Amino acid sequence: MRPQDTYSKYRHCKDEGRNNLVNIEIASARKKPGLAMTLQFLCTVFFVLVLFSSCLRLDSNLYNPSTDIQEYQLDNYSGEQDFILDASYHIPDSLIHQFTLFSKAPGESKATNIRAIYIGSISGIQNDTVIMYCHGNKDHMDFYWQRAKLLAHVSGKNRYGVLMIDYRGFGLSEGKSSEEGLYADVDAGLQWLKSNGLTGSRLVMYGFSMGTAPVCELTNKPRSLSPAKFILEAPFASADVMANDGSGLNMPGSFFTNLKIDNAEEVKTIQQPFCWLHGTADNFLSIETHGEVVYKNYGGSYKEAHRVNGADHGEVPEKMGFSNYLNIVSTFIRK
Amino acid sequence: MMRFATYVVCISLLIIHQRCAPSRFVKPLAKKENALALNLGGPLIHYGKAVTPLPLTSLMYGRGLSNSTTAFGSLHLTSALFGNFQTDLGICQRLYKNDSLKFGITVNPAINMVYDKWEGNFRAWPQLDLNIYKDLIHQKGFLYLGLTNWFELSSRKAHNESQSNHVLVNPHIGFAYHPKKWSYSIECKFLEMNRKNVPNVVDYVGIRQHGAAGIYLNVMRKF
Repeated sequence: MRPQDTYSKYRHCKDEGRNNLVNIEIASARKKPGLAMTLQFLCTVFFVLVLFSSCLRLDSNLYNPSTDIQEYQLDNYSGEQDFILDASYHIPDSLIHQFTLFSKAPGESKATNIRAIYIGSISGIQNDTVIMYCHGNKDHMDFYWQRAKLLAHVSGKNRYGVLMIDYRGFGLSEGKSSEEGLYADVDAGLQWLKSNGLTGSRLVMYGFSMGTAPVCELTNKPRSLSPAKFILEAPFASADVMANDGSGLNMPGSFFTNLKIDNAEEVKTIQQPFCWLHGTADNFLSIETHGEVVYKNYGGSYKEAHRVNGADHGEVPEKMGFSNYLNIVSTFIRK
Repeated sequence: MMRFATYVVCISLLIIHQRCAPSRFVKPLAKKENALALNLGGPLIHYGKAVTPLPLTSLMYGRGLSNSTTAFGSLHLTSALFGNFQTDLGICQRLYKNDSLKFGITVNPAINMVYDKWEGNFRAWPQLDLNIYKDLIHQKGFLYLGLTNWFELSSRKAHNESQSNHVLVNPHIGFAYHPKKWSYSIECKFLEMNRKNVPNVVDYVGIRQHGAAGIYLNVMRKF
């Protein structure tokens, strides 16, 4: 069809009114159903390809930090907590050290300021055992303060030092949460311990929930220090298990996230002694699909399991009883 | 108890339930008739104190091969946004029709396929829908009841653990109104009624800790 023909057709239709134009267009489409169908098909394919090429992923949304604090409240924190210890677990201010670490993930040009709390005597780091506590995926260190404080009572009050950090994006730590950031931030803590005289033979890594990821990663592929032992409380197995559990199908995690956290595979090559604690009533990370798989896959020579009856995700220490919990951790560390 | 934020759960569900869609065809098209449809809806989730369906979307095309057989294919748009190419291909076959009582029975065998561009993972799940419908409103609408069944053929799941879920049963009830060329339908599903929904990383709105309820809207244009 020549352009002037199209124009005259359009003029004619305009004279006849808008409805006629529509009718003629529809009539034209009816005369060429193949063309209309092809166009519709190509538009749909193009549209889907545009969507398919998008980079929407859940990775950054899987973190659950809170940054709405001006300073750490520790014992004065009144927000939600899993449990609150009584006065007998009090730690004197002189043994609580807050400071900033500089964390640089591979490929980053600039370090990120992250916040840390060390419970114990800094001068004692060069002689004694230290527990590196890697907290879970919630809020910030105030939420986990009671847990860190409890660990400072393993084998007696302030017998061992405890280091806890807020991963980037959590609490007062700067930056944005990421998987590589998790590992770099924990390693920044280990670098600080090393610079204060700690050796791997006196380091115990303890991870809770999401914190089990940096423990497994840095125990399996050590950077600054290789720990002597590691403890996993309510571990996360992998993104694949999360997708399997959520769908009921053998759906891979890559359908929704690029997270490479894979504790269930990493423990296969870890040799250090392993202590596992998990609540039988964990309604968030199933003991069966997450914890048991991690425990079963462990490839080292010593492992011990503590399945805590009736404990939900954050309830393991409380349901065990604090003194029983401390006993178990202490016995494992001293073994 | 540690929980992901609600919005995280929403997005997780969005993907985890990417397999969900309403019944593609309850009644077959006429021979050589075509149809394009947009599906919207998904499983119900808790959003704060409210309950809302997730906005899963898919586009579907169908063509009548005969008066009792319709072939169809669909593209899952929400899934595509996350870099997954997901489609389901199948047919709707009428098994029985009673003109005097104005009801019929159809079956939809289909195959669902997903491929992700990130790691190149591919999965396929067979699906079999069974529907019984009853014409209403002078044949301008129909009510239907049915079962959507997904089959997991793999004997293994993540980390080589054995797979015990091989059939996921999703009963549904729906109503379709089709005055002329356009058709509108609403469908309520009880997803995975045979499977406990706890413990899990996501909070389902299920019944007695089983499955998840879902609501779907469908707009179809026949031509």
